[in-house]
Amino acid sequence: MTSPAPALVFDGVTVRYEVDASPAVDNVTFSLAAGERAALVGLNGSGKTTILLAAVGLVPYEGDIRVCGTPVSRRTAAEVRDRVGFLFNLPDDQLLFPKVIEDVAFGLLRRGFDRTEAYRKAVLALDSLGVGALAEWPLQHLSHGQKQRVALAGAMITDPPLLLLDEPSASLDPPGRRALAGILGRLDAAMLIATHDLDFGRRLCRRLILLEGGKVANDGEDLSTIQRLWEME
Amino acid sequence: MRTSWHEIWGSGRGPAARLAPQTRILAGAAFFAACLMSPALSAPGTVFITATTAVWIYASGLPGRALRSSALLGLAMFLPYFLLVPLMVKGPSVTGPGTGWAGALAVPWGILLHGLAGLLIATATIATLTASDLRGGLLALPFPRVLAAILVQIVHQTFVLLSETNRVAAAMAVRGGSGRWRAAVRMLSSLPRVWLPRILGRADRVAAAMEIRGFAEADLRIFGQRVIRAPDAVVIVLAGAVLAVAATLRLRLL
Repeated sequence: MTSPAPALVFDGVTVRYEVDASPAVDNVTFSLAAGERAALVGLNGSGKTTILLAAVGLVPYEGDIRVCGTPVSRRTAAEVRDRVGFLFNLPDDQLLFPKVIEDVAFGLLRRGFDRTEAYRKAVLALDSLGVGALAEWPLQHLSHGQKQRVALAGAMITDPPLLLLDEPSASLDPPGRRALAGILGRLDAAMLIATHDLDFGRRLCRRLILLEGGKVANDGEDLSTIQRLWEME
Repeated sequence: MRTSWHEIWGSGRGPAARLAPQTRILAGAAFFAACLMSPALSAPGTVFITATTAVWIYASGLPGRALRSSALLGLAMFLPYFLLVPLMVKGPSVTGPGTGWAGALAVPWGILLHGLAGLLIATATIATLTASDLRGGLLALPFPRVLAAILVQIVHQTFVLLSETNRVAAAMAVRGGSGRWRAAVRMLSSLPRVWLPRILGRADRVAAAMEIRGFAEADLRIFGQRVIRAPDAVVIVLAGAVLAVAATLRLRLL
């Protein structure tokens, strides 16, 4: 039996936002096995978000990126994005519909699901995140934490094999952070979690990938390296 | 008491709210056009504009608070034109049914009546529609899908941007140590430097999210549409009749 393709592979990836500028991500190499969780940690501006955006083909890059075995390119972008659940740093940015249920069900409707079935699954997804009662609410009436859960429900409703999460714990209170870590911990998908919240990252992931100035400075389970480097800052 | 823009959407509880969304949009557009087309300077025209506006406001169930706010906004926008009347009496180019004061008053009266009616009809139409209704209605009408999707997204993002704008205004009031009105003035004057860059950044991120979620490629009719029933057909015919009466009144004046 062949093992499944890694959920995400970065091989010598460099990203420059302008041709002559210094790279935002510099020769980054790592891979994420199916179902594996890793925290991408680093200070602000270290390249975490850029790596997530490159993984779904939203920024041009040099090198090789593969999602579930498919190389990421302009041609394959739609196919790749169908396999990825993406959680933006600010949930307001990705909630595109006026009502909670519509936003969550959109991913299934787009894939041809019947509306009744899609809405039923959306309510189940919201229930699993503890916000099922909000299904019929207008989005503008939700708190930040509630919006974050709705956005997560929308990202995971299609059961994507890879979740890319950008600072999911930002702006959440400690109980909210614990609850979110619990929810994410129960999912089977591979996850790359960009965060500078070491506690949150550690709660979910054994593996920590430390970025500094766009380069991988450390990749492993040893937290002490990261703590030492960050305390030196 | 303030009435915010996003509170008006879908706030109407009148009989029109039970019609299909596309009927509400069509009827609102027809009444709006009829009021602008009808002559304001004749008694039948004035009665027609006033009656059409009143009936649509009643049918929409526009809440009293929103009605008062819209009426006050309309008066604030259009009454100042009456300040020009003394200048127009002396001027050589007064057009209208009379001369002197009567002719000069006719111009701002026409602006006030058309402007106020248009504003109230637009507000009443908005009150019959939630953002989901707007999407469903636009997609049911022969309107380019991409334009409909963009329009719906603009309305949706406007709700979010209003909160953002309020936060920027609050931050300016706190950091500038000023009151609400001064903060509002500062807010307006600093729009290009503070608000616009934020909005541009936001537009960039929303565009990225739309791309990742496949929003642009999706046919938004997947959310389902309300079919036209007998009451909708009656209202569409009535709206057409109102438009025809307005056209007749206009033609009689020519």
